[in-house]
Amino acid sequence: MIHADYVAPASLQELLAILHQHGGQAKIIAGGTDLIPQMRLGKLAPKLLIDPRHLPLLGIAEKEECIHLGANVTHTQVLASMLLKKEYSALVAACQQIGGPPVRNRGTLAGNLANASPAADSALPLLVYDAQIVTSRLGGERVIPLNEFYLGPGQTQLAEDEFIREIRVPKMPSITKTVFLKLGNRKAMAIAVASVALRLSLNELGQVIEARIALGSVAPTPVRAYLAEAIIQSNPLTEEIIKNAAQAAQHAASPISDLRASSGYRSKMVAVLTRRALEMVCQEFASGNSYE
Amino acid sequence: MNEIEIHLAVNGIPRTIQSEPGCTLLEVLRDKLGLTGTKEGCGAGDCGACVVVMDGQAVNACLVLAAQAEGTQIITVEGLAQDGNLHPLQSYFAEKWALQCGFCTPGMLMSCYALLLNNPNPNPEEIRDAISGNLCRCGSYQSVVEAVLATVKFSQEARGG
Repeated sequence: MIHADYVAPASLQELLAILHQHGGQAKIIAGGTDLIPQMRLGKLAPKLLIDPRHLPLLGIAEKEECIHLGANVTHTQVLASMLLKKEYSALVAACQQIGGPPVRNRGTLAGNLANASPAADSALPLLVYDAQIVTSRLGGERVIPLNEFYLGPGQTQLAEDEFIREIRVPKMPSITKTVFLKLGNRKAMAIAVASVALRLSLNELGQVIEARIALGSVAPTPVRAYLAEAIIQSNPLTEEIIKNAAQAAQHAASPISDLRASSGYRSKMVAVLTRRALEMVCQEFASGNSYE
Repeated sequence: MNEIEIHLAVNGIPRTIQSEPGCTLLEVLRDKLGLTGTKEGCGAGDCGACVVVMDGQAVNACLVLAAQAEGTQIITVEGLAQDGNLHPLQSYFAEKWALQCGFCTPGMLMSCYALLLNNPNPNPEEIRDAISGNLCRCGSYQSVVEAVLATVKFSQEARGG
């Protein structure tokens, strides 16, 4: 048993008022797959748990410029979405590797981001898709680019009375390929040793117009590998350039040693995973199936 | 902390339970309803010993607040057998020796039961994914996969397919 009160507000206004009133004493609980273990370990001790799952929020909705993912969207719902499977395959691949089915059935994307683990699987694809977090608090909302959201392990820009209402993912250029690779000690129920998400978007001439690389479990937060991205964006995708970019990705990493792996191993794996991801995407482009 | 009243259906029987707001579904099932088939292993969602089916999906009962189960339909391992007859999954678990010590078995059974609810004809890879959240320290995984495949075959034959 955990010692906290529980409330399930029926409207967003009610939730925001409760959150404002209780400030740092309250926490949002959706799937509880991160929060309850942390409370049992004594790392968090909120007095009030606020459940947003009764709010009339968006599920997975396609609008003109963005895909909107509501606060209560679970990993299992991401896996079941034909739209996401087709257009955002790296996000689906990442959600497929979170925990096991019982965790994916309950855990939410918004919760995975708010928990701010450096190893959060879903954060990497959302970073390479230039996702934004839309928050609400009493008296206003704001939009936070995901690459500015994280401040440190377990720390985000979210104020105590601020609620993640949805995640917005922009539509991608028509010629786009993405990949998510995770290195873990097991296939399932494993926290990543290192992980990478990659997106390349090309123009009609086959030139890279947008390159995004995000790394997990190798820094205090999920991070973008900006230097590696710049190399990819300003050069033709030769074997040499891929090698250089993979090495450059290591500059974005500042891994620690822990029970899962040493810092040196993690650093090497950043280069290996980045190279593999680039090769996989190049191969997909070469097979031509994105030019239909 | 004030107790709250929770309404849910467990194995088809409507229940009204007085509970502290921080009680988990696992505690309600075991301590308030005496349904001790569902086990507590890690209490942190890592081992799957507490898996039950909630509104058709496998969940870790240790990570669901009882209050969050308001209005849901829960099936536990006690709900599998009907009129004293084992569910085919249970029969094939026994036939294939899909257990040794048996501690993980209720959770394994419920993960497999949820799989078959959502996918009546799974392949071995899908079965492995379905039980990927269930730890068995005796190492019965392969026999579990065989038991599920045998159940699928039995169900198809029973349906005349």
